[in-house]
Amino acid sequence: MTSAQPQTSPLDETAVEAAGRDPLVLLVGSALAWLLVSGALALVASIQLHTPAFMAGCSLLNYGHTRALQETAFIYGWVANVGLGLALWILGRLGGHPLRAANWVMVGAVFWNLGVTVGLVGIAVGDATSLPRLEMPGYAQPLLLAAYGAIGVAGVLAWTDRRRPVLFAAQWYAVASLFLFPWIFSVAQVMLVWVPVHGVLQAIVEGWFAQSLWTLWMAPLGLAGAYYVIPKVTGRVLPAYDLASLGFWCLLFIGGWTGGRHLIGGPVPAWISTIAIVTSAILLSHYLIVFLNLRAAYRGGGAALAFIAFGVTAYVVGGFVDAATAMRVIAVRTQFTFFDEAQQQLAVYGGVSMMLLGTLYYALPRLTGRPWASARLLSWHLVLSFLGLVLLVVTLAAAGVVQGGDLNHAQASFATIAADTRPWLRSASAAQGILLLGNCLLAVNFARTVGCGRIRVVKEALTS
Amino acid sequence: MKNGPLFFLGVFAALGFSWAGIVLGSNAQLATLPAFYDSTDSQAFPRRPSGLANQGQLVYRGLNCAACHTQQVRRPDFGSDQARGWGNRQSVARDYIYQNYVQLGEFRIGPDLTNLAGRKPSAPDAGDLMNLLYTGQGAMPAYSFLFENRKIVGQESSRALKLTGLLRPPAGREIVPTRRAEALVSYLLSLNTFYDYPESKPAPAPKEEAHK
Repeated sequence: MTSAQPQTSPLDETAVEAAGRDPLVLLVGSALAWLLVSGALALVASIQLHTPAFMAGCSLLNYGHTRALQETAFIYGWVANVGLGLALWILGRLGGHPLRAANWVMVGAVFWNLGVTVGLVGIAVGDATSLPRLEMPGYAQPLLLAAYGAIGVAGVLAWTDRRRPVLFAAQWYAVASLFLFPWIFSVAQVMLVWVPVHGVLQAIVEGWFAQSLWTLWMAPLGLAGAYYVIPKVTGRVLPAYDLASLGFWCLLFIGGWTGGRHLIGGPVPAWISTIAIVTSAILLSHYLIVFLNLRAAYRGGGAALAFIAFGVTAYVVGGFVDAATAMRVIAVRTQFTFFDEAQQQLAVYGGVSMMLLGTLYYALPRLTGRPWASARLLSWHLVLSFLGLVLLVVTLAAAGVVQGGDLNHAQASFATIAADTRPWLRSASAAQGILLLGNCLLAVNFARTVGCGRIRVVKEALTS
Repeated sequence: MKNGPLFFLGVFAALGFSWAGIVLGSNAQLATLPAFYDSTDSQAFPRRPSGLANQGQLVYRGLNCAACHTQQVRRPDFGSDQARGWGNRQSVARDYIYQNYVQLGEFRIGPDLTNLAGRKPSAPDAGDLMNLLYTGQGAMPAYSFLFENRKIVGQESSRALKLTGLLRPPAGREIVPTRRAEALVSYLLSLNTFYDYPESKPAPAPKEEAHK
């Protein structure tokens, strides 16, 4: 694996890149910083699961906090930054115009990251909301929304300026995710944090929010990258491309309905979980279409495609697992267990995050005009990511199955459950360590790639 | 999808579709759910939690206790919730109407707390919960930062924890719960779903049809 891309030189660098380079590199760079932060926190949280005394005396980092911090840093730090950066890059390229409003993106990126930092500090000092995927305290959220708006300006302009009328699948997903997030996020903010709704409606709105955040924002961000990179690298039209629009609309219209999966058996109207079961099954057609389209990634063609192929596999498998665990017979065994956690890691990390990483490996050389500094670091990152993710998902799923079996036996005490799951959870910690190590390599590679470019620019400026 | 505005409308319609269905639909069904007035007892249920308990819920929320504890008892044929003694009926929406921040939870790394104060035969009392928070137990870490280890000035505080063995503070010192710990325990002791609402009673078993 000597080069990430088939044609490293000349990297089809266009004016699009030149205009958006600085803000997009800033977005990607801060995303990588957050990836490391969330990786370290994930490791701490994972250790706390099998060794509860670890850091327990620290009021900032008890398990409830580390879990919330890790999730927030991962979603709002890593996925948001890298996803937005790459979505803007794709929109600019497919629109055929240099990215406009780059300054807005720059300011937005700075304030977004400031907002995430405020949110994380808020969680650590005890202001967390304890709502999954929305743990940040209320005071951090308006800042995030405003910063997102600033970043989104470039997306709006890229969309309205587009030269070509034909919309590509990558564009649909990028546009949908860019423009739906503020709505989902602000609805959740108002209904859950500012003026919380009545009683269990909070849990229902929260379920809708968490699912919509996933199906209407994170998943489309990842898919936008995959739909863009695969045909670029393979040089062919995606197979069964006619179906792509069906897959897209299916995800958009059906996705948000599946949030009631986690409320099965809970104190909510039964129709909520019943609809979730039905829609999870319907959503399978989306996953099938994605698989049909993106199976071209398996043909191979460098590290970028390898990451994306892994991502596509995890994404599709994740969809099927979601549909399976929505069924009551299976949910009774997996609900409230580490299996849910395994599912989430499979979808969000294994699926979307890997697609984003693949897109990043494709995009950065084109964005900076330089190939990746080290092919060896790249291939080690690939190996460690694959290994870490498979190990993480398998061990968490196994822990979940053991835990679910024990929970259903009323005689099994929580001490027994902890003892039974401990070996699996230890392996999960090892997996988190492997992933963190891999991501450190990526960060080093990124710093060297971008840093060298900077030095070159400075030298040129001095000599000219 | 060549028509930009139409595409846009479609995307927003998609979001609006699930929002109207799930959020507005359930809102129409549950937003005005009232307390249940029991005419024999001449009082309404559930009871409103005390102010201190509401503060405790903020502590519970801030510590993200829901990362490990659920607050929902499922029906007897779904899991072992009731066999574990977490409650003798399933939780219903009415149980939560006076909770400012509902904490249903997604994980059961620790036990369910829906009916912590109403558990039979023996519900924990304030002292038990204080000790549990201070020392931790099994997979639950110690929350010692919710307590103050201080020098006894004058008489020992009546709020000081009664600890035995290794955990006992050295002579002349005492472990006293902070305001946060007291609020949290007050909240935990308010978790009680003793009242059976009409909708929480199990549906009558379908009568076996006569063999044809």
